[in-house]
Amino acid sequence: MLLIHCPYCAEARPEVEFAYGGQAHIARPLDPSALSDADWEQYLYIRNNPRGRHHERWRHAHGCGRFFNAVRDTVTDKFEVTYPAGEAAR
Amino acid sequence: MPDAATPDIAPLAVTAADLHLPTQPFSAAGLHLELVPAQARYSLRARDAGLLAATIGRALPDRIGDTLDGVIKLGPDEWLALLPAGATLPLGEGLPVSVVDVSARAVGFTITGPGAAALIATGCPLDVERMAPGRATRTLFETVEIVLWRQSETAFRVDCWRSFAPWLWAALVAGAQG
Ligand SMILES: [Zn+2]
Repeated sequence: MLLIHCPYCAEARPEVEFAYGGQAHIARPLDPSALSDADWEQYLYIRNNPRGRHHERWRHAHGCGRFFNAVRDTVTDKFEVTYPAGEAAR
Repeated sequence: MPDAATPDIAPLAVTAADLHLPTQPFSAAGLHLELVPAQARYSLRARDAGLLAATIGRALPDRIGDTLDGVIKLGPDEWLALLPAGATLPLGEGLPVSVVDVSARAVGFTITGPGAAALIATGCPLDVERMAPGRATRTLFETVEIVLWRQSETAFRVDCWRSFAPWLWAALVAGAQG
């Protein structure tokens, strides 16, 4: 089982306490109705699929309950860093 | 060898009819399990911990996982208060705080004895041995969400939502029986 460091609990905790939340740092457009269909599609559906570093959201669902962001390597499954939601991408 | 017409399926060791809240404590070698009597529970939420503390007239633990006078800090803006039966807290109407009576939502068990940590570890993925006395956290036991509070080296308290409690009790007793 992976151990994931929760930036709020400040502890490494077992993976089963966490829920994956998809790619991180996707800002909702401030005025959706002003977007073209292509731009709206881009926002809604188009995600990175990197081999290597991936910025993603996780939630400590069965712990402190908080969403946070992580950089995980999709090849090794190793978490490089986790940090509170709202901070700049690492 | 079972044949195709009569597959050899063992009956379930535990069925729903076997699951109920305990009416008696359970004791085994080095372990004692007991239902916590009914008590008051409050779910507390606030961005401003100072305002929440002033509203309910109690000090709150600062660090996630710490406990203070029956209050556990579960998350950055969330606490769980475990108080004597009948205790009430001011609800803070009109203030940006959430003080909600959830007394009947959960059921608590105490697990005491030298084998207590090992019993928790039969179903809990935390490194229970490294959990310091006085610390508490939301976590899992198998697939059931619990609040685990280490009250001393050899005493734990587990709270879970009421509908999961009969199963959790059965699982703890099964673990205690080895
Ligand atoms: Zn956490």
